[in-house]
Amino acid sequence: MSWRDETGAVGGIEVLPFALLVFVAGTLLLANAWAVVEGKVAASAAAREAARAYVESAGPEEAAVDEAAAAARAAIEGHGREPGRMELEAVGALSFERCARATFEVRYSVATVNVPWIGAFGGGLITTSARHSEVVDPYRSGVPSGDCDA
Amino acid sequence: MLMPAAMLVFVVLGAIAVDFAVAFLGEREVSNAAAAAANDVAGAALDRERFYADGAVRLDPATADEVGRSAVAAAGLDDLDEVDVRVEVAADAPVVTVTVSARVRYLFAKALPGGPDGARVEAWATATAEEGD
Repeated sequence: MSWRDETGAVGGIEVLPFALLVFVAGTLLLANAWAVVEGKVAASAAAREAARAYVESAGPEEAAVDEAAAAARAAIEGHGREPGRMELEAVGALSFERCARATFEVRYSVATVNVPWIGAFGGGLITTSARHSEVVDPYRSGVPSGDCDA
Repeated sequence: MLMPAAMLVFVVLGAIAVDFAVAFLGEREVSNAAAAAANDVAGAALDRERFYADGAVRLDPATADEVGRSAVAAAGLDDLDEVDVRVEVAADAPVVTVTVSARVRYLFAKALPGGPDGARVEAWATATAEEGD
């Protein structure tokens, strides 16, 4: 048998490298999608913790806002994410008094991987956001009274 | 023939993974909204007339419904469709159950022949108003 003999050769085997590339690109695409999902979960947890920390704070308002920001950062860190990529913002006016609603929105920028042929989504960063809202307990002591009949 | 089929299988599997993740996120969103709403209702919907009449801590169904719906409205479920809120107050205890359901839009499945365009997700949370010392 000479080396030119094609016995045992598989037709179409030359596409295997192409298939491998498609597989790698597809895997990176899915990894990107999952990173965004994880970013959304982290943002959701951060918004929830911020709102909880605010309404449970002993006050005054500035301290409550600081506690909300610290809780959001801790939640992001707890999810293994980078707090520097997080933005925390109060939705509407905050008022630290009984019955007041505190709504926080967290935006988190997820870095995406450069996928072959497709490139990086959103310029390399995809921003996810989540919002959480809670009411300051109407019957708490040590908190200024608010308009509970509104 | 094998290569296009393998690619199609790969794309479909990826689409299923992403769409299931989207549904999972939607379920978490309604779960968070339900928990926050139940917590708000337990704190803010005390039936004051009943409390001043016989000292019993109970929740007022009308106030509970109003507080629960405003809590879910503030939860930012804008990316979900057909959001439905049910607030149920127990008659014999200061307990409220808030159920939130919504429809999640799939990203990829609707592109497949016969694929669904979304899924309905639902979550509920119960909270009890307890008297402090």
